[in-house]
Amino acid sequence: MCSVGDDGDRHMPSNVFVQYYDTKCQKCKLETPIVLLRRKDSYCKDCFLSGTNHKFKSLLGKSKLLRPKDRVLVSYEVGHPSTALLHLIRSGLDLNTPKKLRFEPVFVFLEDQYHLTKDERSQMITRAIAEAEKLKFKMHLVSFAESIMKDDVTIYLNHLNLNDNDGDAINNKFATKINNTNKKEVSNILRRNILLSIAKKLSCKFIFTPELSVDIAANLLTNISLGRGSQVPVDTGFCDDRDKDVKILRPLRSFDKKEVALYNVLHVLEPVTVRQTQDNQYASIQALAKQFINELNENYPATVATVVKTGDKLALDENKVAGNCKLCKGNILKPTEDLTSDESTSFSKLVSNELPDHSISSQERYEKVEGQFEHKAQVDNEYCFSCSKISRFLLSDT
Amino acid sequence: MDIKVQFGGGAELLFDNKKHYDISLPSKEKPWIIGDLLFWLKEHLLKERPDLFLQDNSVRPGILVLINDTDWELMDTVNYEIQLNDCIMFISTLHGG
Repeated sequence: MCSVGDDGDRHMPSNVFVQYYDTKCQKCKLETPIVLLRRKDSYCKDCFLSGTNHKFKSLLGKSKLLRPKDRVLVSYEVGHPSTALLHLIRSGLDLNTPKKLRFEPVFVFLEDQYHLTKDERSQMITRAIAEAEKLKFKMHLVSFAESIMKDDVTIYLNHLNLNDNDGDAINNKFATKINNTNKKEVSNILRRNILLSIAKKLSCKFIFTPELSVDIAANLLTNISLGRGSQVPVDTGFCDDRDKDVKILRPLRSFDKKEVALYNVLHVLEPVTVRQTQDNQYASIQALAKQFINELNENYPATVATVVKTGDKLALDENKVAGNCKLCKGNILKPTEDLTSDESTSFSKLVSNELPDHSISSQERYEKVEGQFEHKAQVDNEYCFSCSKISRFLLSDT
Repeated sequence: MDIKVQFGGGAELLFDNKKHYDISLPSKEKPWIIGDLLFWLKEHLLKERPDLFLQDNSVRPGILVLINDTDWELMDTVNYEIQLNDCIMFISTLHGG
């Protein structure tokens, strides 16, 4: 993503303000628009809200995965997306038309906001419970730290035991101090595993997570950068079916921030909000990918959709799968005779660390170093490529 | 000129945790535009670091602005001329998990 000498900007459409005062809603062509999406589509209130509802239900409907009476675990996180998700589910359940949602939602708040003080966290939990109650839902509570430490999930109602040092739980998983990228990676994997355990305890066959299109796009770039290319379809697609009993679905993956925030404003919903972390954008690959996507989204709103749609075209050839990774449960590919980029990198490392022996000819030098290199093709791994890089820091496997 | 200013979605955390303000803008020669209001808010009401609210001459990306319940992108954003009794709402999309 080098931008040096990049003169592409002059080919980009300039941001000229278009007069919208007198225009009509793009959909109904009658009402005055109140919102401009993607910098070009203007909608009136009714068309915007019905469009949002339709988008949510059509993605669920099209997948044909959910059956009536299926129990669905909805993972709650503070912020606009979860608030909108709760409301979308409630209005879908309350419908009296054939389009009514017929699954049974179960809500869980897996609390991991360790940048806040104990008081702030306890207030946040109270407000999350209240938010669910307002929509006649019951919120289950699970502590992320406790689940990691006990290696088991305890589900609470109404109250969660909070400790000041909960944030250290994740660090105790590692033998040495590791970088933020790996830490975030492990914490995401653990989070996913804990959600799966909660779903099984509450006998749910599905999990809804509230990622928006920007999160999906950032995740996609992160996965590619971390060597998880083969996991892109499950990690960023609509359905994650790595676990054979519980599927993780991402019903908000085609929504953007503005849509969910406006949905909440128009429905007079106040999302639970917390103090922001002062993240250094260069602290981890995840933070960098997020920053990159957010900036793109701001200047060229079509890009996020392009990234997401491109990701949707990626699929894995099932014939090449050898097994599942012990840590992330992602696919491990069958070893091949071909030289992989992983091996090329190791070869390059080997060559670069070798002191050149000038007493022999360059041909001999090449043969010597090639002889040292072991073609790893036949080695069977317990971990996928990316997790094998993290696993050596972990104290125990999860 | 009296107007209403509202904060939501976490933007209120930058403004003394208060969601509603009734403010009175002093009269000036040129009409008040949203761009002027942003700097007035920064001078008078903003309690946290300005870079969490403003960036260059506009709001920070991720903060939505609604003028009388209409997206400001339909109203020429910072150049909108503020009218008496307007209600201007700032919604943050950045304060989540």
